[in-house]
Amino acid sequence: MIIDALKYLAYVLVFPGFLFCFLTGLLLCGIDRKLVARMQKRVGPPILQPFYDFFKLCGKETIVPAAANRTVFLIAPLVGLAGLVVLQLFIPVFSFSAFSNVADVIVILYLLLIPALSIIIGGASTGSPYAGVGLSREMVTVLSCELPLVLVLLAVGKKVGAATGTGLCFSLTEIVRYQMANGSLLWRLSMIPAAVAFLLVIPGETGSHPFDAAEAETEICEGMLAEYSGAPLGVYKLSHAVKLLTMTSLFVMLFLGGIGGRLEALVYALGLTGGAAGALVMLLSVLVLFLLCVLLTAVAISLVHAVTARLKIEQIFKYYWTVVAALALLSLALAWYGL
Amino acid sequence: MNMLSLQHFPIYSIMVLFLGAFLIVMFGRNKVVRHAIALLATFASFFFMAALFRPVMLEGETIAYWMGGRVPAGGYAIGIALEVDALSLFFGLLVSCVVFIACIYSIQYMSHDDNVPQYYTLFLMLAGGVMGLVLSGDLFNMFIMVEILTFAAVALTAFRNTANGALEAAFKYLVVGCIGSTCILAGTIMLYAQVHTLNLAQMSALIPGNLSTATKAAFALLFIGFCTKAFLVPFHPLAADAHGAAPASISVLISGVLTKSGIYGLIRLSYFLFQSMALGTMQFWLVFLGSVSMFVCVTMALAQHDFKRLLAFHSISQIGYVLAAVGLCTAFGVSSGLYHAMNHTLFKGLLFLAAGAVLHETGTTDLDKLGGLSKKMPHTTVLFLVGAFSISGIPPFNGFASKWMIYQATYQKAVETGNIGFLLVTICALVTSTLTLASFVKVTQSVFFGQLPKEYENVKEVPFGMRLAMGILALMCLAGGLFPDAVTRYLTEPAARAVFSVTAYINSMMGQGYAQSAMAVQPAVPEMSFASAGVWSPISWLCLLMIALLAVTIVAIAGKYDRVSVRTPESLSGKYDLFYGGEETVYSQVGGDDLFWGFKHNWRHYFRFMHELHSGVVNDYALWAVVALALAVVYALIVL
Repeated sequence: MIIDALKYLAYVLVFPGFLFCFLTGLLLCGIDRKLVARMQKRVGPPILQPFYDFFKLCGKETIVPAAANRTVFLIAPLVGLAGLVVLQLFIPVFSFSAFSNVADVIVILYLLLIPALSIIIGGASTGSPYAGVGLSREMVTVLSCELPLVLVLLAVGKKVGAATGTGLCFSLTEIVRYQMANGSLLWRLSMIPAAVAFLLVIPGETGSHPFDAAEAETEICEGMLAEYSGAPLGVYKLSHAVKLLTMTSLFVMLFLGGIGGRLEALVYALGLTGGAAGALVMLLSVLVLFLLCVLLTAVAISLVHAVTARLKIEQIFKYYWTVVAALALLSLALAWYGL
Repeated sequence: MNMLSLQHFPIYSIMVLFLGAFLIVMFGRNKVVRHAIALLATFASFFFMAALFRPVMLEGETIAYWMGGRVPAGGYAIGIALEVDALSLFFGLLVSCVVFIACIYSIQYMSHDDNVPQYYTLFLMLAGGVMGLVLSGDLFNMFIMVEILTFAAVALTAFRNTANGALEAAFKYLVVGCIGSTCILAGTIMLYAQVHTLNLAQMSALIPGNLSTATKAAFALLFIGFCTKAFLVPFHPLAADAHGAAPASISVLISGVLTKSGIYGLIRLSYFLFQSMALGTMQFWLVFLGSVSMFVCVTMALAQHDFKRLLAFHSISQIGYVLAAVGLCTAFGVSSGLYHAMNHTLFKGLLFLAAGAVLHETGTTDLDKLGGLSKKMPHTTVLFLVGAFSISGIPPFNGFASKWMIYQATYQKAVETGNIGFLLVTICALVTSTLTLASFVKVTQSVFFGQLPKEYENVKEVPFGMRLAMGILALMCLAGGLFPDAVTRYLTEPAARAVFSVTAYINSMMGQGYAQSAMAVQPAVPEMSFASAGVWSPISWLCLLMIALLAVTIVAIAGKYDRVSVRTPESLSGKYDLFYGGEETVYSQVGGDDLFWGFKHNWRHYFRFMHELHSGVVNDYALWAVVALALAVVYALIVL
């Protein structure tokens, strides 16, 4: 009983929870900044810069604006971060899933709204007009991403459900398990458009270029963050970094789960058995997951960031509801007719 | 029969409300007496319903009650009957509970109005009408109750008749509401002429084997009649006007209770009287109507800039979810639809009460004028946020639990039947949920956050009684979301079973074996499966969130989240106000209608079209009603 409680506590606090999110999220953020800089022929900050930024922000004074609702202003960032960390617990690391029977992909879709809501409510609570404009754009960005995301998840659910004979499958653990036995979904013809659509959703969900109208620092002073300073600002920056990890690892588990099967096969081919094999599989899984997340960040965020300019908010909405949604819809239609 | 036996409880529960209305007219001059009567009557009504929970919900009994002991003779049910199966009790519990809470709220909310005794009289008449409707075992009595509740609702809509637009709203409601009531009456007469009985159970046994052109037309008439009561598209503009003008406690009843009576009527009509739900075309009809209502009304809500009108459109949007789920004709679908009906009553009640609280303190519900109230009304803000998160389907609140079941149910149906239409419904439901969230972010920003206009600087928090009523509803919203298994097991699944057990319904009224002898074809009972493909356990999620939140908070406090480094500008001699790069602070709020222009710009043609369509002229809406009726008749004649 106590051992179980300690185990779950370790899940939440260390892996795949708080500490893991903190380290990998900020690292991904640093790698992204470095990559963008190199693509633009700049030197760029050191890879550990986000860590320095975070600790420095935590040491700064926090000023609550006169117009703000103090309680909401201070609590909103914490709830957003906690919600995001808990969400990360439901995303398996290949064969390992900390909590497999708590939330399915539809729930994850809505849990993803909690960090967005936290920044919206926090920004709104400051009473700043910049935040007002920012939250309007943030909400429209969330709306934009919602339709493609819904279509992608339904397509995956239908595809896996049809293949396993249950009709439809929404459990992320099941989806990964199916891929580990039958190869990644990314290599199925019908799932390629969905994967591309999801890749395009990643920058929108994490609010990076060219979909960062909500935080456009050159025009609306980072919108909802305009009034934030000190530790709460640091928490928001951390949440943003963790969201990189969440979205990329969600992509890995939805479309590249088959790699987990390869890893296991590799370890067993080495002739290892028992606890040692388990530990090695786990270690390799985490390592591979991290590398894949870096790769996806490089492709979906850094590269896109380096080559595009910021879109206007109505363009963002139009882009997602036409181009990206059409890709996802194509995938859903293919999956529906059994391809 | 013992006066205290359970058999009598349904009629008591209706009677106390009408009796209360009567007593308030006579003795309601005194404030204390008036409030005592109203509270007592509504609580007693709830108590009598709650007492039936055990036999009906848990033990599966159906309570049949013949007034004056006039049981059927010679194979015909002539007497007036009440019949309480799990479906009726489900709605009865819901109605009586919300009526009681609205009554608590009314005491302080209405304290500044004139003619308060009349308010309570009409309030109790409305409540009694709905209770009578859901417990009645007789189609003609359903019509009578529809009339009572419609007229009480019309009068209450115009209760604050000095307010702008109140009389107009009441007039519109009166015209279209009467068209609806007339449809119900005409349908009832036509059915009576065909099967020579008005008892619901006996009609359910006789109609399916006796489908003539007249009965089919009667179906369409009754269908449209109940649609007007539920304000489904194309009757949605009425709801907006009525809610905008009515006192908040009445909006709660109109949205939470009156629309449910329409849904109840539609279920009785299509599942029981005509037993037509096995037809794919009938399923299509209900699901289509539900989806259209869901989507059209959420977009209409996005274009509103009045708090209560916005809520009114959301109300119908959520009723659309209920109808779409109920129309699936699967056990899981009906159960999830009823669950959402319950949740809708709770969170929409909470939101209307919060809107009422804002109106009570500031005197307006215009989103363009309000702002920054969270500092002045912190409790109302928190309670409003609970309601807003619930209706937008944010975990772990109740709206999410039921919407999640609806997504699963519609997608499951789509996969089972291979029908791509149901897939579109799933997508529509998922996207509508986020649009709902957008609309409530707008309200949050425009009313509770953002900048506080000068004229509201002296606003205070509402009195305790109003906060109590909202608090009860907020707790129920949270509980309904955290314990979905308990709610489905004890409330919605028995009710969903009742929806599919027509034979038992008939027999418990007309005597064992009646259904078997009277019906040529026994209604098929589908597989009663409440299983879903997804997993969601809110309690575990909440525990995890609490642990994570605790950890984050401890780290934050150990860091610099303390009193020394978190400072407000008061302590800094006004040096820091809002961030303007040194310029003077100006009042420049983007709010109300324009907040999501990035979205609305892309949909501008649609919004312009809708704007032109909703002319606000009652003649147009009456015309819509007639057109809808004509379409319904044609459709019914073809498919039934």
